[in-house]
Amino acid sequence: MTLLQAKGLTVTFGATNVVDGIDFEVRPGGTLGIVGESGSGKSMTSLAIMGLLPSSATRAGSIDFAGTELTKVTERQMRAIRGDRIAMVFQDPLSSLNPYYTVGTQIAEAYRSHRSGVSRKAARAAAIEAMDRVHIKDAGKRVDDYPHQFSGGMRQRVMIAMALSTEPELIIADEPTTALDVTVQAQILDLLAEVRRDTGAALILITHDLAVVSEVADDLIVMRHGRVVETGTAEQIFSDPQAPYTQALLDAVPRIDDSIGDLRPVPGGPA
Amino acid sequence: MTRYVVNRLAGMVLVLFLVCLFTYMVFFLLSPDPAVQICGKNCTPERIDQIRANLGLDEPFVTQFLNFLRGLFIGREYEGGINCPAPCLGYSFQTSQVVTDMIVQRLPVTAVVAVGAAVLWLLMGVVGGLISAVQEGKFADRFIAGLTLGGMSVPNYVLALALQYVFVVWLQWLPFPQAVPFADDPVQWFLNFILPWSVLAIGYASSYTRLTRANVIDTLDENFVRTARAKGLRPDLVWRRHALRPALTPIVTIAGMDFAGLLGGALITETVFGINGVGKLAADSITKNDQPVIMAVTLLAAFFVVVGNMVVDLLYSAIDPRVRVGVSA
Amino acid sequence: MTIPTTGLTVPADSGQETAGTTPQLRASVLRTLLRDPVAAACLAYIVLVLMMAAFAPLIVKVSGWDPYEFDQSAIDANMGGIPLGGFSGSHWLGVEPGTGRDIFARIVYGARASMLIAISATVLTTLLGVVFGLLAGYFGGRTDMVISRVMEFLMAFPALIFMIAVLSALPADDRQYLLVVVISVFGWPYLARIVRGQTMSLKQREFVEAAVASGASRSTVVFTEILPNLRSTILVMVTLAVPGYIGTEAGLSFLGVGVVPPTPSWGQMIASSVNWYSVVPLYFVVPGTFLALLVLSFMVLGDRVRSVVDPKGRS
Repeated sequence: MTLLQAKGLTVTFGATNVVDGIDFEVRPGGTLGIVGESGSGKSMTSLAIMGLLPSSATRAGSIDFAGTELTKVTERQMRAIRGDRIAMVFQDPLSSLNPYYTVGTQIAEAYRSHRSGVSRKAARAAAIEAMDRVHIKDAGKRVDDYPHQFSGGMRQRVMIAMALSTEPELIIADEPTTALDVTVQAQILDLLAEVRRDTGAALILITHDLAVVSEVADDLIVMRHGRVVETGTAEQIFSDPQAPYTQALLDAVPRIDDSIGDLRPVPGGPA
Repeated sequence: MTRYVVNRLAGMVLVLFLVCLFTYMVFFLLSPDPAVQICGKNCTPERIDQIRANLGLDEPFVTQFLNFLRGLFIGREYEGGINCPAPCLGYSFQTSQVVTDMIVQRLPVTAVVAVGAAVLWLLMGVVGGLISAVQEGKFADRFIAGLTLGGMSVPNYVLALALQYVFVVWLQWLPFPQAVPFADDPVQWFLNFILPWSVLAIGYASSYTRLTRANVIDTLDENFVRTARAKGLRPDLVWRRHALRPALTPIVTIAGMDFAGLLGGALITETVFGINGVGKLAADSITKNDQPVIMAVTLLAAFFVVVGNMVVDLLYSAIDPRVRVGVSA
Repeated sequence: MTIPTTGLTVPADSGQETAGTTPQLRASVLRTLLRDPVAAACLAYIVLVLMMAAFAPLIVKVSGWDPYEFDQSAIDANMGGIPLGGFSGSHWLGVEPGTGRDIFARIVYGARASMLIAISATVLTTLLGVVFGLLAGYFGGRTDMVISRVMEFLMAFPALIFMIAVLSALPADDRQYLLVVVISVFGWPYLARIVRGQTMSLKQREFVEAAVASGASRSTVVFTEILPNLRSTILVMVTLAVPGYIGTEAGLSFLGVGVVPPTPSWGQMIASSVNWYSVVPLYFVVPGTFLALLVLSFMVLGDRVRSVVDPKGRS
């Protein structure tokens, strides 16, 4: 039983396949980590699922979401899924929030566009509730604040509140902690894990940082140059990596017991 | 917020004062002696001295400047019992009129020119820019880009003459311009303004088109637009709320400033079309070397620009929440 | 926060792309431009006008009429001085109504005034703008505050009206020089503001910090590290400033405070055609076309230069 299954997913810009026939699946309520360096095609994978690829890109292969083939649906049908059944959390919360509107408006906007006949008031209440759920203090007041009045971590909480307000079945988080301070990163990861636990939503966590997925993910795929180099459970991959690239990645993660000067770069470097 | 407004107001007053001082100084130092002008042909040195004394022209610069400022705020009296109530911008010896009256008479006409032109250029600029942005790189975009380059290249007096020749002399679609009060003949009145409005608007509209295009294209690239689409928002809402508002806000504010600038008189356009506004007053005064009027129009224009700037800043802080809290203030 | 809508603004944040350009910039820009037919045509027209300006006396010898020479035989004195015939072998572009002066000769000499004033004003503006922009951006603090205030003040001024006022008050003897000075005084802040912004961001860049750390003197840093990186910005600004100043000069001459008659200038020719435009449209069409084409050429060229040196920049 799978919630989302991608088969031979390919994204092409001009003559280059930035995502080159990858397969993966997400179980309902499960967490899939997609790991790779920048340029490995992991972000394009998420945009391909959402149907938000730039117009210069083409998509091939199949993406089955709970029985719906996402590559075949119309834009209108996709719009009904986007933000409602699949929600997304982006990397840079500041630029991902519109500076002209209060966070409450922006959360309510997601909610109202998928719940017909919801009053402004009810949507606002839903926004406050969502903000409560991501532990923003004084949600009733802060709902009327603008994004620039929040700290980086708080903004990402707003983004997560926006994502969970519609009770999606799948949340895609694309590098959700990369733009944040190190101290805040763990809190956001905990929050994502908590949201998943409470709502039962599945999570795709996209990151370049193995330490991030190691805490949250059940399953992992490792991507390089648009291809999957390794698939398995997080446990398997961390204890016994098969692909040399994964091994190199793991070696490059600094451990507490490593002595300084022992950091190893990944051979090959970004293409 | 209050502190921001107070700071802005203080800055505005300072700039206006400096503009006054600077302008007055330039005219004090450079202009030919008005006493000689008034005195006329059969002039004796004694007569000149007398006029100078009457006008206070023998006073030191600071006293004269203070007199001018006093005139602005409480009014003053000139020789021969001429009363110049506040805000007194001076007295034109050539036309024997109080300058303030001359300007007040012509301000409404200039306002009509400015309002009509602003409406027209905003409409053309925003629509043109939107079409260009949506059609980026396609034929319509290139076509509009060509038009804007043309619109920015043709000096407005050339455009004015060309349009006047084509539409009035050649095609005779428009009547020959002649000053008509609105009440007498509204149609002729309106037709008179069509060409001046268009000439002024075309220049501005070109740069507004480019600005709108660039802003919209930039905004569509913003992450928050992607977020809006990821929410599953209808495309028209994505455009209206998340693309247009951030893209057009700066344009509206710039329009406010350009409009304020125009209130100081569209010298060239008013002159070419013989519109009796502040701009033509300035141009005529230049020809006649009527210094008090030129100085007054300069000050008036500066006043509009500075006040316009401030109004726009405050407006901007009302529209853009980031400024409201004083982040970039 | 307030952005004037002169054509003289370049995105201040293009520092990322422009920084680190190579010294061969100018040659490669020129080569790229020459391969572009539109840009090449614009360049050709500009060179043509420049040549006209430079060799005016020679050209006039060939065409046969001096710009100041009245030709009563070319106008109809009974009809108020309407020219007899338009383009002709004798007067290539016709004659001025009323006086019978040769329009071609006046156009050629008028190019001198336009080009000389626009180019001198651009040179002076660039000099002032770069120096003050660098000073404000590099030293910051009080220097920056003073320069920025002065810039704000100058930009708040209704420049055109003030220029007219000043020029009308000043004696007419050396108008050309005064024009250049007055235009530059009000023009430099627009360049300086951008130079200041870019200098401030360049100052933070690693290669500048490295130079400072390795003990380079301030002037060395400014002249060898920062200035070369501002080159493409300045190039774009200059190509956009020239048409602006051509227009300004023509506008001021049009209003009667520019180049003093009988010295010809394009703006002035158009101004004197106002009374004749309905009878002798050619009289404003000729200088108007020359002027509009020149401004257009510089604008197109400016656009192309910008897209060559700053491909990612906004248009």
